[in-house]
Amino acid sequence: MRSEAEFDEQNESMLAAIWQRHRPVVIERICLLDRAAAAAMEGTLNVEMREEAAGTAHKLAGSLGMYGYDEGTRLAQEIEVMLLEDSVAEPMRLWELAVELRRAVFPVM
Amino acid sequence: MKRILIIDDEEDIREVAALCLETIAGWEILTASSGSEGILVAAQSSPAPDAILLDVMMPGMDGPTTFQQMQENAALASIPVLLLTAKVQGVDQRRFAGMGFAGVLFKPFDPLTLAVQIAEKLGWVAI
Repeated sequence: MRSEAEFDEQNESMLAAIWQRHRPVVIERICLLDRAAAAAMEGTLNVEMREEAAGTAHKLAGSLGMYGYDEGTRLAQEIEVMLLEDSVAEPMRLWELAVELRRAVFPVM
Repeated sequence: MKRILIIDDEEDIREVAALCLETIAGWEILTASSGSEGILVAAQSSPAPDAILLDVMMPGMDGPTTFQQMQENAALASIPVLLLTAKVQGVDQRRFAGMGFAGVLFKPFDPLTLAVQIAEKLGWVAI
């Protein structure tokens, strides 16, 4: 078994390359959560969009921490829990979480 | 050398898991992007995989359904299966309990410790 240090030296760039390749997908997913939060604020979030957004939050929660974005995973989990309810009880909170998530993963966006 | 099959619809999960398991543990990695493809890859693998990492939420056939179909295939039924899930709610823990999985691993995983986690769950002493 190789050491963690050896992994770091040999594969950190490969992990970074995987992140860079999948970055557009992550951006697209975060934008979808933004749209869902905006729709919730406007009272136009339908069941289909809510379920799609919950699934998207689930995918983000399961992957962001793998790249070191632990706060991103935590925020995505919180968003998922809110979206799994039949209706979003606190649309403003959902919006805040979506903004926090974007900032946690892409500070300059 | 261990041979591991990763079944997950998320491409980057498959890539990162394969990268760290190949590099840190030196295992041979097979991948599939769906339950049905995973069953096919497992059945065609010679030798059979030593273990399968199986995502829970996938479009089409989900992880538990994929596992049930593997259990009905004599050639695959004895392969230990570890569930890979981002779910942590108690309801899922109860759903998975008693289904015969070798264990549950949670996403996001730490690339540096995934191999050790797998080895521990499966009782593999040295990797």
